[in-house]
Amino acid sequence: MSIVGKNASSAKFRRNRWLLTGLLSLYFIYTFMPLFYVITAATKSNQDLFSTFGLWFAEDFSLWENLATLFTIQDGIFLKWMANTAYYSSVSAVGAALFSTLAGYAFAKYRFFGKKLMFALVLGAVMIPQTALVIPMFLMLSSMGLTNTSLAVILPSLVFPPGVFLMWAYIDDAISNELIEAGRMDGAGEVHIFSSIAFRMLMPGFATVLILAFVASWNNYFLPLVMLNKPDMFPITVGLAQLYSTAISGTGGVLLFTVVMTGALVSIVPVIAAFLIMQRFWQGGLGAGGVKA
Amino acid sequence: MTERQLKTRPRNRVIVNKKIAPYLFLAPFALLFVAFLIVPLIYAADISLYKKAMVGGVKFVGADNYIKAFADPKFWEGIGVLFKFAFLQIPIMIGTALLFALILDSGVLWAKAFFRISFFIPYAVPAVIATLIWSYLYGPAYGPIGQTARLLGFEAPDFVSQEWILGSIVNIAQWQFMGYNMIIYFAALQAIPGDLEEASVVDGASAFTFATRIKLPMIVPTIIVTVVFSIIGSLQLFTEPFLIQNMARSVINSNFTPNIYAYNLTFVAQQPNYAAAISFLLGGVIAVVSYVFMLATNQRIDR
Amino acid sequence: MAENKSTSAVTFGFGRRDFLRGAAATATLPIIAGLPKMAMADEAVELLVWAWTPDTAAQAEMFMRKFPNIKVKIENQGGGKPHYDKLRNAIQAGSGLPDVAQMEFNSIPSFRALQSLADMGPYGANEVKDKFIDWTWAAGSDGDAVYSIPWDSGPMASIYRDDIYSANGLVPAKTWDEFADSAMKLAKDKPGTYLTNFVGASDAGWLGSQLWQIGARPFHVNGAEIHIEINSQKAKDLLNYWQKLIDAKAVDTTPGWTTEWFAGMDEGRYATWIAAAWSPIVMQQSMKKSFGLWRAAPMPVWEAGKKVTSNWGGSTFSAFTTSQHLAEATQFAVFMGSDLEAAKLWNTKQFLFPVLKELATDTELMGHPFEFYGNQPVNQVFAESLGQVDPTFEFAPFQDYADQILTDALAKAIGGEGTMAGALDGVQDAVVAYAKDQGFTVI
Repeated sequence: MSIVGKNASSAKFRRNRWLLTGLLSLYFIYTFMPLFYVITAATKSNQDLFSTFGLWFAEDFSLWENLATLFTIQDGIFLKWMANTAYYSSVSAVGAALFSTLAGYAFAKYRFFGKKLMFALVLGAVMIPQTALVIPMFLMLSSMGLTNTSLAVILPSLVFPPGVFLMWAYIDDAISNELIEAGRMDGAGEVHIFSSIAFRMLMPGFATVLILAFVASWNNYFLPLVMLNKPDMFPITVGLAQLYSTAISGTGGVLLFTVVMTGALVSIVPVIAAFLIMQRFWQGGLGAGGVKA
Repeated sequence: MTERQLKTRPRNRVIVNKKIAPYLFLAPFALLFVAFLIVPLIYAADISLYKKAMVGGVKFVGADNYIKAFADPKFWEGIGVLFKFAFLQIPIMIGTALLFALILDSGVLWAKAFFRISFFIPYAVPAVIATLIWSYLYGPAYGPIGQTARLLGFEAPDFVSQEWILGSIVNIAQWQFMGYNMIIYFAALQAIPGDLEEASVVDGASAFTFATRIKLPMIVPTIIVTVVFSIIGSLQLFTEPFLIQNMARSVINSNFTPNIYAYNLTFVAQQPNYAAAISFLLGGVIAVVSYVFMLATNQRIDR
Repeated sequence: MAENKSTSAVTFGFGRRDFLRGAAATATLPIIAGLPKMAMADEAVELLVWAWTPDTAAQAEMFMRKFPNIKVKIENQGGGKPHYDKLRNAIQAGSGLPDVAQMEFNSIPSFRALQSLADMGPYGANEVKDKFIDWTWAAGSDGDAVYSIPWDSGPMASIYRDDIYSANGLVPAKTWDEFADSAMKLAKDKPGTYLTNFVGASDAGWLGSQLWQIGARPFHVNGAEIHIEINSQKAKDLLNYWQKLIDAKAVDTTPGWTTEWFAGMDEGRYATWIAAAWSPIVMQQSMKKSFGLWRAAPMPVWEAGKKVTSNWGGSTFSAFTTSQHLAEATQFAVFMGSDLEAAKLWNTKQFLFPVLKELATDTELMGHPFEFYGNQPVNQVFAESLGQVDPTFEFAPFQDYADQILTDALAKAIGGEGTMAGALDGVQDAVVAYAKDQGFTVI
């Protein structure tokens, strides 16, 4: 319960409530406007896109045609892009979260030789921008013949130093040393203690890192852009950007401006839905690492 | 509960001891860390010492690429753009995120949960899509913002002009990431124990003073962490300007940010070795900036 | 380590193994080429082709009907820069190159310089040499070595909106002076409507075509020697001409190939596009409102009575040294360029202007009415223009890089920093420095 809630009847409080709700409503309009634009654009024909008012629907409702074009263009490649994205992002997210958790657990709950150095390395790595590594990584992987494989996109995404950092902070807080000691007293092995005692206690942290890693991978453009040459293998981000570039070069066969927007709509809807469903994970969890540090 | 699980444990499994366990837990991450962070860095450092010419082939040039990069205005212009971007974007985003988090936390609002969730939604939209959407919105002649402005009787600014382009990119980042930071602050604020409030009510502090003087200082560590992540994020700028380039051609050139420069050096200018040197330097610059920020805020994380 | 680096060329271009494979293939070629055509594709072969022109797949299907053992898969990597970026990416990576790619005339020297284009000569490409208009064939070949086979050319004309012209009392300008007068007049009579939109600062290919017409010759290449003259007086004259119109706000400067630009042409913001024969491919889909209102007239010339036009774009097909199916790749490129029926169909459906001597004089084709142009038989206009192209224009072996530096500088000038002509000196210096850095002898 909050302080201002205690004198909810005062005139000042009521004025503040109007004011602040108004302020946030304005920001809501700003947040919602682009999303609303995607929705209206996806329902328009290409001619209407530029000749009708952008923030409202046109008379002709072309969503179905746009969807049909989207899913049939280049032999239905959009579906492949969706599947690729789901594959890359989920494998990257689960892997990154799992490996981060294991490493964070080791840093938080053990003393071992080289710990200080390794932790400093990880912290240092948090500072190294992943995108600065994309070109070097491309040059390296091409010398190994590994570009144009899903591994070239997934493997680099499995290294998620911020995840280690967050899990370290979270585990340090959430799991007491006594609990682990108690497990040892009972004769349980270290792996067993982790998998059957600790892991379920650090689930909220794990879920947070999972979401962060998922978004990092789903958001990624530079890495797959550089690593992949086969349209069949693109994730949605690279695919849509490419569709856009065929649209502005006028060479998509059919004009694709509204189709690009339809693709944008189709690809963000499931992720937004997933976010809404999984609210309870991210709302609680995201603060965890920050609070501690 | 613990005991029951212990009993169901298979009898003859290998018990990993305390000494080996941490290495075992670290192994997968460490392996990938070395393979996809350390090795590429070494590889980049190595190839940045060579040069490949169309006529004459590959030769060892030592530090030439670095000497060239240090004197390359295109690289430093790009770094300049990153700094301007970061100085503009981070305070605005962190400021609004804090403000909204405090407002949400204060309990004054109607529809608290609605705002919290809806502000977070753009985080689910990847930068590519956010940029595509905003670039449609920015169109000076046919974009909806321009249309709306004309309906209301004035001209909207040219969002992709020299004066506005950085602001236009800042706006995309603000739209995408404000809510994410807000949620983090909100969670941190909610974690502050309630008895503090009781105390301040007794002291007669106003809601505003309470929020800014007492609550805000308590989440400073959280703020610092998010600022560091924002610095790192904003100094990596690539996707937004890369995609918006063709409509803002007079402002966004082939070396607008160091990442775009490295991309074009590799895939247009055929100078991958020089691109590696640029990438290496960029990584160095960001690491130094983040480290200096951490030092400046005195948040040494050592244990 | 150092030694290792320089010999394992995988990072840089293609590897030794690929080279050996290429050499081996070359050695066995004459034997294969000598065999009857049926035997060539005994087993089903799949060719991967990167092309951005719409409906290339339909033309590929015509090919597949004729050569049922060759399956062609078309991938569109996006036109222009994204396409070439991806090609260079694949060359760099040593994997992922298609067998064949669409390649504009401007880009042939760059990819030849990377030694990634295969010589199709040994596979019989020279058999069709005489069918092609000479300069188009010369652009992609070197003696008997054939690196690309022409597909379409880009003779230029003035593509204009009949409705806007007649409503404002304009006639297509015969000279650039007249064009400037019309631009000033229209800007005054009808604010918000422009005679044209200058895309020279965003589309280096278009700018190149204008340099070509006025007689500037930025590059002359002779092996590892290169002459560079980007800041010639003629180039400056060209840019000063446009600078004057821009400063007077008589032409617009919206970057080309953007949603705004497409919409601007369809909505009547721009009345003219000085463009190439193929241009309506990109217009007919996006310009539904103005469909049928466009016309073509000869391109304005610099000296009245002295008819010199230009060529913008036009594509060829090139095969890559990494392809395992060079014989089939050659067959495909030859078919796309030289099959009369396919070329006719592609001209009438897709506006691709033929590169074949026989078609350039085909009266039926020259009289074909185009709906997009309100049934005007525009081929005559473009055929005339093609005959007035001076084919001595050369592209650099690092054309894309030079273009990028050039557009960076011009765009900055358009954004308000200095003048476009003034920017040329800096571009000259930068490109000369780059050429030297790449090992060329600049003369």
